[in-house]
Amino acid sequence: MTTIRMVDPDASSDTTKEIFDAVLRREATVFGATSVSNIWRCMGHWPALLEANWARSRALMQRGRFTPLQRELIATAVSIGNACTY
Amino acid sequence: MRLGVDETGVTEVMGVTEHTRALATAAAGLLIESLDSERALVPPLDPGFAEGPVKAILGEIAGWAETAMGRRVPPVLWRVLAHNPHYLEATWRKEQALMSDGALSARDKRRTALGVAMAIRGRYLIEYNAAILRRAGDEDRDILEVLGVVDHYTTLNTLSEGMQIESDIRPPA
Repeated sequence: MTTIRMVDPDASSDTTKEIFDAVLRREATVFGATSVSNIWRCMGHWPALLEANWARSRALMQRGRFTPLQRELIATAVSIGNACTY
Repeated sequence: MRLGVDETGVTEVMGVTEHTRALATAAAGLLIESLDSERALVPPLDPGFAEGPVKAILGEIAGWAETAMGRRVPPVLWRVLAHNPHYLEATWRKEQALMSDGALSARDKRRTALGVAMAIRGRYLIEYNAAILRRAGDEDRDILEVLGVVDHYTTLNTLSEGMQIESDIRPPA
């Protein structure tokens, strides 16, 4: 059971909401999301964490020579290995 | 199932992951420190002293290693396993079956294996998979790209597990 409340993107500060909007645009493109996923909403309690990790997500998951699928394969395998059910 | 990978592709990712973790456990259990180390809990077999089926399999691995890694001698883990012919054959056949082209390309599988090895800090398997990828043409920036994904997902996995976040991502109907 989730141990933290999810931040409501619509009730966030302007800066945080901008990041949530960017996350949703990305997730809608990648896997058809219609709302910001929980992993990002939980970070919204600490905007500096959200911003830093979103910047790293863009740098590491959206730029480079690999295709999105190639990155996702590695990400999935790492998550399996870490027994991460999310 | 995201990004167009079907159940076969997902199962291949699972297989590559468990295979890499199992080999990393074997290498660590045998105290093999690196790809270039000859030190191990059980000394690696000199292929010149191999006989019968073990000789044939080590010869096969040597041929593969020359092409895939630019090395004439079978990597040390295979030479250690060679003390048990059944162990060597079953594991080598599994390596061949799982890491060749399938729904996913052999190179994508190898990059995935490198990511798994990095995530569990399995030095031998990091060096093993990186050597194969470099031989196939991967450069420093490609190795770093694998590491970047490992790094970022270590972050996301830690947050999601630490906060016990329920998944809200579902495969398409």
